[in-house]
Amino acid sequence: MKESVDNRVKKTMNRPMEGLKVLDFTHVLAGPFATRILGDMGADVVKINSADRAVSANEPAHPYYLMWNRNKRALALDLTKEDSRALCARLCRQADVVIDNFSVGVLDRWGLGYDTISKDNNKVVYVQMSGMGEGGPWEKFVTYAPTIQALSGLTHLTGVPGRENIGLGFSYNDHQAGLHGAVALLAALEARRRTGRGQRIDLSQFEVGVNFTGPTLLDYFANDVKARATGNKLPYDDAAPHGCYRCAGAASESLIDERWVAIACMNDQQWLAFKELMGNPEWAESPELALAAGRVARVNTIDREVGNWTAQYRAEDIMQRCQRAGVPAGVVQNGIDLVENDPQLKHSGFLNAIADDHPRVGTTYADSLPLHFQKTPCEDYQRVREVGEDNEAVLQDWLAMSDAEIKAAADAHLLT
Amino acid sequence: MTDSTTQGALSGVRVLDLTDERGIYGAKLLADLGAETVRPEPPGGDPLRARGPHIKGEGAQSSSLWHTFFASNRRFFSVDVECDAGRSQLQQLVARADIVLTCSNTFALAAAQLEEAQQQRPQLVVVDTSSFGPSGPWKDFLAPDLVAGALAGFNATTGAADTAPLMGFGELNFMVSGAYIAIAALAALNHMRETGCGQQVDISVHECIASCLEHVLMSYWYDDISPATSPGLPRQGALHWTQAYTVMNTKKGAIMVTPAPDLEAQIFWLVQEEAFEDLLDEKYSDPDNALATTQRVMEVLQQWVAKKDAEQLFLEGQSRHCPYGQVLPIEGVGTNPQLQARSWWVNYETATATIKGPGAPYHFSETPWSMGPCGAAGADTQALLADIGWEAAQ
Repeated sequence: MKESVDNRVKKTMNRPMEGLKVLDFTHVLAGPFATRILGDMGADVVKINSADRAVSANEPAHPYYLMWNRNKRALALDLTKEDSRALCARLCRQADVVIDNFSVGVLDRWGLGYDTISKDNNKVVYVQMSGMGEGGPWEKFVTYAPTIQALSGLTHLTGVPGRENIGLGFSYNDHQAGLHGAVALLAALEARRRTGRGQRIDLSQFEVGVNFTGPTLLDYFANDVKARATGNKLPYDDAAPHGCYRCAGAASESLIDERWVAIACMNDQQWLAFKELMGNPEWAESPELALAAGRVARVNTIDREVGNWTAQYRAEDIMQRCQRAGVPAGVVQNGIDLVENDPQLKHSGFLNAIADDHPRVGTTYADSLPLHFQKTPCEDYQRVREVGEDNEAVLQDWLAMSDAEIKAAADAHLLT
Repeated sequence: MTDSTTQGALSGVRVLDLTDERGIYGAKLLADLGAETVRPEPPGGDPLRARGPHIKGEGAQSSSLWHTFFASNRRFFSVDVECDAGRSQLQQLVARADIVLTCSNTFALAAAQLEEAQQQRPQLVVVDTSSFGPSGPWKDFLAPDLVAGALAGFNATTGAADTAPLMGFGELNFMVSGAYIAIAALAALNHMRETGCGQQVDISVHECIASCLEHVLMSYWYDDISPATSPGLPRQGALHWTQAYTVMNTKKGAIMVTPAPDLEAQIFWLVQEEAFEDLLDEKYSDPDNALATTQRVMEVLQQWVAKKDAEQLFLEGQSRHCPYGQVLPIEGVGTNPQLQARSWWVNYETATATIKGPGAPYHFSETPWSMGPCGAAGADTQALLADIGWEAAQ
């Protein structure tokens, strides 16, 4: 029998995580990216910062900070002061989620560790996104994404055969640590519904990174295969052509102006279609190239000839012709392409200026949450807040502090 | 009775996994957190069971280690969607699911009749992933990981000046969309728990990747205040956009070195080793000269590092709180002391073998992550038919 929505509605929510209180001690990228996602989905994310700590990537006008800290409220607390920490402990008692990405033990030293907080708030989900996790000989190691990517095998595997100095060109693992932090805390919130209790989550950014080499590690342990970088070739499956090929249309000799197209024939049908697209050149008619294994065995020939063909045409034209023929292909887009030329991102309205200007920077921007909830769309983007800009509102909302109490805290220089 | 706190965080949540490569990592994340996850596959078996690498020495039917990593912890249901009975079985599995994960054009999508299911049961959460979204000029474009990464900006960042733009090793782009899928499913589930209303969430792999490019959009939008030198930023190997992190070769192995975040500590170290060259010159302490200082420090480091051993330098750097990272090959990861000390590795069970492999990306104090077996094609079909009360006569 069809169940009526109206009979089951408990309340209405405009965004899927409305009502969730998140106390955010994160900094730089990985942690702030986790809480950015929660803020985008409607959670009340209160970011703790202080005038003393607001330098470099923790400064609210720094481009990094602008990218990862929208949709959060800003509370200034000088946690070097005991009274500020006491105030912070009161906030922790109200929080659904407390999250940090300090090295292991920092919040414990401030008296804000899980063991302390959970005595008064056993529903709290406490996420610690440290570099190496708690325990082990590397527990105190200092890490940024390039560190993690080097140690996890991602740098060694990303490149061309025989070179160890290429690696990923951006902080992939920071984003992924943030995404996995969000997954973990959302799962813990679901568990809380069942158990009535929160819990502590120990997320090691290193282990998140190692996890991405999963099949390769299984291959190592099962078969003693020591994988090495394979460039744009698939490491385990047969597909050719499968690479990035230089095209015509470069505006200059500069590297930044080069134009490339990625082409990936994932099966023999796609190869036939691609071959026809190229005009069935003589070299491609060899029966040895009919099957993927044969093409992979002759990949140098394939890449050279395909490159000679693509060099005659613009990348956009090749992409369109290939896609019309059922061959996967795409322009190698850089940041300028994404913002100025990508018709798909324009169609979905993915990139936008934020309506409310930042007081010092002026116009700031948001790449949208890439999750399109049909009933609770997440389309509200609030600008990054200055340090302490929401002190009064947060302390009133979370702790019901009076104006006089807030003034007293400010006068005691706790809120700086 | 099982103690609820020893179960996974998502114990009791039912997921129907109709994903392909673009979404299977999302289903894995939910399954490994304890969700009962059913993965239908055609009578001939899931095509993803053919993905390499495979266990050597098992012959033509050898287990796919790719599939083992991504599809363990599932209940496998063999279903023929070309016949009425198969479609009916699939729809009954949909009827008992809290969450259905789909990817556009997967084999059982039409037969699952998800729109009808949502009308019948509004609590249902559906997360539908496509390469570019349900509409728009590229909605029908084909995009395996290489092409997805090219169009979304990944490949333009990666590679060196003397190489082509490069993809990541494996499915790094689809692991981003997979993580987003898990977030979408759990957020929509939270909303359903609060309101009683399920919903569909549409996800574009293209947007997922574009949202995870660190400096790429930033350097376009904030080029006047960003340290990056160009909004397009050419690929430059391991050199970070700040110029302050890169991989250097030592006399034994490679290492990621950086003078950040404490330049003074790095220079002090170089002074101790009498390798500081001209770095004590006043011009390098001028804050307005920060980029040139960084570049000069990196030049000095390059010469200094070349005389070192990568592992020793890494450990010495970390003892000084410098975030150095040794570039480890996969065998170095497999024997890593930190992972060993945290008892990180777990066993993966295929139909024929038990293999050591990656453990949890996060550790829950009360509801542990766990790794379950990866059965043969359709291994759980009879049990699932019994669960839905299906009788052969039907």
